[in-house]
Amino acid sequence: MSHTVLVCDDAIFMRTMITDILAQAGFEIVGEAETGSQAVEKYRELKPDLVTMDIVMPDMGGIDAVREIVKQDPDAKILMCSAMGQQALVVEAIQAGAKDFVVKPFQPSRVLEAVQRVLG
Amino acid sequence: MDLSQYAELFLAESREHLTACNQLLLEWEKHPSGLAPVGGLFRAVHTVKGMAATMGYARVTDLAHRMESLLDLLRRGAHPATDELLQLLFRARDALEHAVELSVVGRERELEVAEIVADLDHAASRMAPGGGPHSPGGRATPSTPPRPDSPVELEPAPGRLVQVTLRPEAPLKGGRALLVVKKAQGLGAGGDEALGSGARVEPGAAGVLEGGGRSRHIRVALRRLDGLMDLIGELVTARGRLNQLAAERRDPAIDDLAIQVSRLSSDLQAEIIQARMTPVWQVFDRFPRLVRDLARELGKQVAFRVEGKEIELDRAILDELGDPLMHLLRNAVDHGIEPASERRRRGKQPEGEVVLSAARERASVAITVTDDGRGIDRAKTLERAKRDGVVDPHADTLTHDQLLRVLARPGFSTAETVTSVSGRGVGIDVVMTRLRALGGTIDIRSEPGKGTSFALRLPVTLAIVRAIIASVGSERYALPLTYVAETVEFGTVKTTVVEGREAIVLHDRVVPLVHLRRLLGVTQDAPPPRSPIIVLEMGERRTGVVVDGMLGQQEIVVKGFDAPAGTLPVFSGATIMADGVPALILDAGGLL
Amino acid sequence: MSDAGVVRLLLFRVGTLVCAADAERVREILPRLETTRIPGAPPPVAGLVNVRGTLITVVEGWRALRQPEPPASNGTHHGTTVLLEVGGGRKVLGFTVDEVVDLLALSAEALDRRQALPGIDPTLVRAVGRRAGQLFVVLDTDALLTPILSS
Repeated sequence: MSHTVLVCDDAIFMRTMITDILAQAGFEIVGEAETGSQAVEKYRELKPDLVTMDIVMPDMGGIDAVREIVKQDPDAKILMCSAMGQQALVVEAIQAGAKDFVVKPFQPSRVLEAVQRVLG
Repeated sequence: MDLSQYAELFLAESREHLTACNQLLLEWEKHPSGLAPVGGLFRAVHTVKGMAATMGYARVTDLAHRMESLLDLLRRGAHPATDELLQLLFRARDALEHAVELSVVGRERELEVAEIVADLDHAASRMAPGGGPHSPGGRATPSTPPRPDSPVELEPAPGRLVQVTLRPEAPLKGGRALLVVKKAQGLGAGGDEALGSGARVEPGAAGVLEGGGRSRHIRVALRRLDGLMDLIGELVTARGRLNQLAAERRDPAIDDLAIQVSRLSSDLQAEIIQARMTPVWQVFDRFPRLVRDLARELGKQVAFRVEGKEIELDRAILDELGDPLMHLLRNAVDHGIEPASERRRRGKQPEGEVVLSAARERASVAITVTDDGRGIDRAKTLERAKRDGVVDPHADTLTHDQLLRVLARPGFSTAETVTSVSGRGVGIDVVMTRLRALGGTIDIRSEPGKGTSFALRLPVTLAIVRAIIASVGSERYALPLTYVAETVEFGTVKTTVVEGREAIVLHDRVVPLVHLRRLLGVTQDAPPPRSPIIVLEMGERRTGVVVDGMLGQQEIVVKGFDAPAGTLPVFSGATIMADGVPALILDAGGLL
Repeated sequence: MSDAGVVRLLLFRVGTLVCAADAERVREILPRLETTRIPGAPPPVAGLVNVRGTLITVVEGWRALRQPEPPASNGTHHGTTVLLEVGGGRKVLGFTVDEVVDLLALSAEALDRRQALPGIDPTLVRAVGRRAGQLFVVLDTDALLTPILSS
């Protein structure tokens, strides 16, 4: 059975692209979220195997969302997707409980590598 | 991965964010100490940057990055808006928009961004206190612009540049730099490094993404909706034929089926029309910036208000409205609103008001542009109208309609007539032409010293309308019900003559008549003695259209056709009747 | 025209003229369809027809080429409608002809450059060819049809 993924990014463009990359590799995209609070809500509802999480999103940022999700489920597997120039925030996200991160612009191979690492 | 398939999505979403930037900048300008707009701006620009980087548009990425850096500083420092900053950010936003548009069409190389980049960097360096802002992760300033010395060399390989600057007073600089490099390499970064005063890490370019991909988004391209609409149109036509057939056969089974098909296709049609509906804010949202810039340029004080933003129109109509509305708003600010000093002299508030509003009216939507400016000088316009022969030389007033007709004369220069500044007529003909093509109309109200208001009336959807099918000789024409007020019979109402035109008196009002036979040059047969008159109404204007007969009402699918040179300007399109033969659609605006 | 100097032409007759159009411009060949008059349009325009849900303006061939009116052309005509792409394929117009004669593929050298011919406006002629001993004119369909449409 394929792994389920929740894709969180405020840009449809990014969600589309991540979804395409992962779907191509056989993952099942079960949901998308465009704000941090939506991500938390959808996580609760869908219990995906993996979450990809943007850092800068309106309403609730990605790092706060990671904290919330990890509070609910300490085993949550979250992959941060950050833009360049956010290294400091990435560290914060890892401290908050994210497992790994990839940096935009994405290279499909890097994304898949990171996903495999996170899923262990 | 073929990135070109994402270009359209990139463009659409970037445009949205750039429009949002305008709104946020305007908001910040209004409330300079507010913090929310800066945060929003940062997020919007950040998102554009991320998308551009993914698309491999290095220059867009670079420009967005520099803008983001400045915004980040402003955000962290809770810096209030200054006029200088706002001007810079407006300019940067426009440059970014230009960059996005050019990149998508493969012309990124033509971009000239050196000046705006330098200005952004300059502002950022002045904003940063001492050795730069403190980011939560440490002393590094991750948002410092990459390679300020040679920004243009950034293309075309997409990559991420991280410049880490160590403060001069930091101890163990060499060691720290090495740590940074090691850490970066651990993250998969390669590239050159320059140790010493600082360290530079240039990760390998992300390169062209590989592999194919299935697009999965909720947006539906307009052409898809158009395609659906065409199909539904055919279905509606086929339904008409089926109904006709059922009526001939008198078979209850076929009847039942025809009724069921009718219902289903109506539902389907309603759904698709609904899917095409778009709130007017999608076009209105670009105007606050336009009005602001124009007022600024002209040194006027203008408060701009938008009402009814949520009112919906067919996407195809809405897309055509941008230019006409821009024209009218320009006119309002340029020619309507007086300078503050003049307003004070006249006992008005120094700040003029321009209102753009949308409201639903029966089967149409009214969009008005109103200003509280000086109004149109009727006496002078009347003089001009007499000279041009638009009105009777002995007329002593101009009705609103006549005023509009004068203003809408192509190339009408009102430099001497309307205001001492320049004309108001300029462009009204363009607006009218566009509206007519959409099956809409325009009305004007103007009070000297109090202001001017233009009201545009548009059908809610272009695609399918209910229409009266009228016969003239052996020909059939469709008249959309949108503007039909009532129908009467010739001979049952009093006729009179007004300004040389035949007219009827209806509800104590004079309604001029148009004989369709004469207008369309139909000569066969004789008209019936009691011709029906279809009374069209648009705002205050009414016209009675005399036809030979009425064949009934039905839903028609509006289609365009390539009108040959010389075609009478009274058709808004054509439709296909139940028997498969085309019929032209009469345009109420053209007949009035 | 197509590769290696080969031209494909659709030959048709309008009145006494045998004409040809670049076959790549021919979208479709249909029987004569019922037209709806367009008030105000110039005389060569026959009107609008419905081609499977798309409305197409049809030009009466004999009028456009100043040929005598075909004998049976009252009410229900015989004849054929050729759908032609105009202006680089942006628009499609119908063009009525008396009959379609042939579809030819010939080398470009077999055609003579435009020349004056009796009975036809030389600006409408792109080239002249010969088939079975009979002359035919290759029409510049853009030059013929664009002025009618331009509005």
